[in-house]
Amino acid sequence: MDPFLTSRIVSDLLGGVTQGVIYGLVALSLVLVWRSTGILNFAQGAMPMFATYVGMVFFAKFFGYWPCVALSILTGFVLGATTERVLVRPLYGKPEINPIVVMVGFLIVLESVAAAIWSSGPHSLLSPFSQVDFQLGGKPIALSDFTLYEIGTALLVMTLVAALFRFTNLGLQLRASALAPEVSRLLGVRVGRMLTIGWILSTGVGTVTTILVASKSFFQGLTPQVMDGVFVFGFIAAAVGGLESPVGAIVAGVGMGIILQFVTDYVNSNAILLVALVILVVSLMLRPNGIFSPSTARRV
Amino acid sequence: MRALSARLGVAGAVLVLAVIISFIVMASVRDAVAMSLAILVVAAGVATITTPGLRATHPVIARAAMSTTAVVVALVATFYFSATTDYNLATGAAMSIVLVGLSFLTGASGQISLGNGAFMGVGAFIMAIWANHHATTPIVVTLGISVAAGALVGFLLGLPATRLRGPYLAGMTLAFAVAFGAILNSFNSWTGGDGGLQLPNVAAPPHWLISLFGRSTPLLTTNTAWLTDITLVVTGVAFFFMANLFASRTGRGMRLIRDNDVAAELVGISLPRARVTAFVVASAYASLGGALWTLINNSVSPSTYTFALSITILSVIVIGGIGTITGALIGGLIYAYSTNLISWITSQTGLNPQGNLASQLNGIIFGGLLILTMLFAPLGIAGLVRHVWRTRARRSVP
Repeated sequence: MDPFLTSRIVSDLLGGVTQGVIYGLVALSLVLVWRSTGILNFAQGAMPMFATYVGMVFFAKFFGYWPCVALSILTGFVLGATTERVLVRPLYGKPEINPIVVMVGFLIVLESVAAAIWSSGPHSLLSPFSQVDFQLGGKPIALSDFTLYEIGTALLVMTLVAALFRFTNLGLQLRASALAPEVSRLLGVRVGRMLTIGWILSTGVGTVTTILVASKSFFQGLTPQVMDGVFVFGFIAAAVGGLESPVGAIVAGVGMGIILQFVTDYVNSNAILLVALVILVVSLMLRPNGIFSPSTARRV
Repeated sequence: MRALSARLGVAGAVLVLAVIISFIVMASVRDAVAMSLAILVVAAGVATITTPGLRATHPVIARAAMSTTAVVVALVATFYFSATTDYNLATGAAMSIVLVGLSFLTGASGQISLGNGAFMGVGAFIMAIWANHHATTPIVVTLGISVAAGALVGFLLGLPATRLRGPYLAGMTLAFAVAFGAILNSFNSWTGGDGGLQLPNVAAPPHWLISLFGRSTPLLTTNTAWLTDITLVVTGVAFFFMANLFASRTGRGMRLIRDNDVAAELVGISLPRARVTAFVVASAYASLGGALWTLINNSVSPSTYTFALSITILSVIVIGGIGTITGALIGGLIYAYSTNLISWITSQTGLNPQGNLASQLNGIIFGGLLILTMLFAPLGIAGLVRHVWRTRARRSVP
């Protein structure tokens, strides 16, 4: 009997972390695109949603869980690369609202096409892990096989992305072309290809996130709009942490997950969007570039 | 003189196109004829009034004349329309107010709002709440209160915009649009929860107007016509102010910010003030449109002001021509008749109207048009027309 693990505060903390890693992953995928191409991708929820439909609903007729996950991520990669090449590439150097509008349009198209093909009702996904909470002395702990899988996957993805950027030649090229595209081009980095890879990575991270989100019993399955709300929290986390900073995005995501879980528990679940909005406005007023980004002077 | 004939040719083509479209989307032939006549008269009136001389020497008078002509003709036309067309027209006119606000925000200051549906909702709910608590307040005053409330919310949300560059503002307005439903729900003792609110009484023409013109005056007989006429007059006034604002010192300063904010700061324009002003104007216009919707429908429901509405608003203004005033009018018309147009397409292509594809056609078409417009014609229909107009005029000069 350990009352500590089943207490209200610890339950909220664990639930908050479980939710927060999701926000952190969405924020990370936004940061990846922002750092490589300077675009805030408003279809960052919809593109992985579509890839997940292809992988987890269409291919689920033929394969089991793990091949479907792999196929979803692969579809995400292809979708990310195609989007960057076809929709985004013509927009570099245009006014900054143009890519925003195009990606909002893409969001509408993807959600409508997904609903047209697979109907707008929820599709429950295969889930290899139980979502029933562990019991301790007759009381539930806010942890289950699935939440452990969720947190583990999130950590794995974050580690992989960090390792890619820090230890590989490709990561060095990615960082170089984000920091100084012209110098990198002169040094032989194929900057255009690096931008595409940024989008591929981002959609891949997003697809893993969407599979986790849609498997949660809370959402009751995959719907075309499943990522809308999650996207908003992910964006807020990315903005609070600083769009330049992957670490900031993840930390802000987890922090926000915990705060919102406490708000849900102690106030009510309607208040979380309001609280998130207040967090966003206040943090943008105090630190416009995000908590984790160094203040930068703009070159004139 | 050939330049003039080329211009007339383009104008004629546009008019013919407008007439054809009105025949496709209108409920009855009578409506279509009346609509076509109205379009013709407005076009003729605008063309005669805005001779280059008057426009150059007295721009405000020219704009006032243009708005007045359009409003008067539209008022007369509402008499000939059926109640359905009147309702559609009023909905579209109120929407075009929202659109012109967004158009100003983007066209003048280069920012964008993805939350205009929620700002409309602010106006719509304040209108209903005030009318329920103070039933005797005149409509104009209630409209003014709604606009003030919208401006206040816009100011609060716009404050961070003073320090932000880039897409943060767009993301923040998106968060507001998504959060709006939950915000309404948090105050459900005021907003009526999921059911929304009813206005206590139907807006009827005031007695002094009836005694002035007589009870049988066509425009005052039915409430739909009366509400449509109020909406049209308000729209005319709103567009008149907006046209002046676009051309004013403030408007020109904002366009400089859009094109080069460093240069704007160097000539002494205050960036924070201009950004917040643009945002406040846009949200005030949006809440005026929302308040008018409450008036037209005599009720307000939270299910109207969802994130989907914000996206639809963005779609129609981009397709109409973001950053232009004409674009807002075109967008309003597109919005008013989009449902008819989509169901016409459904019936022509023989889709199953209850099927998945038909129910999603709206999103696919609007989203697709949004992308295509931004990629190939960033100024939308208004920009295309202007482009064709100018190249034709230039080519015909020897």
